[in-house]
Amino acid sequence: MKVVNSMRQLDRALTDTGPSDAIVDGLLRKAHAQLERKFAIMRRPEVAVGAFASALGPLMIAEGSRGLVLVHYMDCGDTDRQLEKLRQKFDPIKDPRAVEPVVREIKRLLEGNTGALTRKVDLSLVDSDFRRDALQRLCEVPLGSVVTYQALAAATGAPNAQRAVGTAMATNPIPVYVPCHRVVRSDCMVGNYGGGPGRKIKLLRAEGFEIDRGQRLHGVLGDRSTKYYCRPECRSLQRANRNKLLMFADPALARRAGMRPCDLCRPDSGRESPAN
Amino acid sequence: MGLNESFRLPPPFAEAVQIHERAIMRYLVRMTSDRDDALDLFQETWLRAYRAYPQLKSADGLKPWLYRIATNLCRNRARDNLRRSRVLTPAGDTGDADTVAAPAHAGWDGVIHIKRIVAKLPEKQRSALVMRKFGGLDYGEIGAALGCSNESARASVFKAMKKLETAK
Repeated sequence: MKVVNSMRQLDRALTDTGPSDAIVDGLLRKAHAQLERKFAIMRRPEVAVGAFASALGPLMIAEGSRGLVLVHYMDCGDTDRQLEKLRQKFDPIKDPRAVEPVVREIKRLLEGNTGALTRKVDLSLVDSDFRRDALQRLCEVPLGSVVTYQALAAATGAPNAQRAVGTAMATNPIPVYVPCHRVVRSDCMVGNYGGGPGRKIKLLRAEGFEIDRGQRLHGVLGDRSTKYYCRPECRSLQRANRNKLLMFADPALARRAGMRPCDLCRPDSGRESPAN
Repeated sequence: MGLNESFRLPPPFAEAVQIHERAIMRYLVRMTSDRDDALDLFQETWLRAYRAYPQLKSADGLKPWLYRIATNLCRNRARDNLRRSRVLTPAGDTGDADTVAAPAHAGWDGVIHIKRIVAKLPEKQRSALVMRKFGGLDYGEIGAALGCSNESARASVFKAMKKLETAK
């Protein structure tokens, strides 16, 4: 009994020895003024984060004041790892409502609305300059067309770096918005994708491409240096610079890009190629 | 929405500051016995916490984690002070007890007495005691903050209380 009593006294005495509320308040006020200044230098920008079941499966999305930062397929790859990387550069705040419009834009894109994506992108999460450069070049590839890994590497200034470009696409932090699905293999096969080839095909079909069961793309090839477009089997392509080729889903898109139909294969005249 | 519960984020840093700043300030005032030092360490604690915040995995570990930063800083400060006082007063007197006894507004002798005993406790026991009695941390959290097991944290608090009792 005596022990409990003295312990209680001791507790009370210990509490009395602490600083009063007024003193703590005063100290906090002083500290705030000074801390505010120091924090201003090192503050990480805030981003809103949310996860959604979208038309492309479960997506995690992060958006800051300078644009979209992250679009992540939650069923492909490590979500915790993505969050960790995000937190290195940003202060994420869970706010699903703030990023919900992004999901609606993606839905409209898949329904065939080609002007659906209006958001700006912020490539802060890209690790290297080369990868950022490749992704920026990629943004110049318009909807309804695709480039090859090789051509994108050449455009980035490293014609032999098609594999590095592949890695840059695989680590693209903002798929769909930075259109890494518009990069395909040189043999016109769809190739691989961070969210699985199925999603790549879905996106390319929504953008107007015809893709057969063997995952081969059909369209016309446009040469950016000669400004002619041809069927893929045209023999005039044998002499073309492969690094300058773009594939269009539709001849109309090629014409809109300022190109003329080839005189040899006449890509506008029906589906069958004239014998050449 | 189920998907949004599938990933976890610690609270935004500003919120963490709001929740814990009072407790941390009290802790530092008790641990340093000098208000300027406490103010200094308080700022250092939050700056360090902000820098390392991306490494913190979840909200559960936040409180002991903050106490751990504060404790480490106190330890560094005590070591530096000791070194400096050795240079200034080569006689070997650390002067630590004097600063504690100094407050002249002694309302109640017992308070000063207890303060002095608490100040003389070994560092680990003092931290554990302050966290337990004033921070409201449980032994698991104290263990996490001091980098020891939860039994060891319990033992430290017990030893500290024993000393206070016998000294009374």
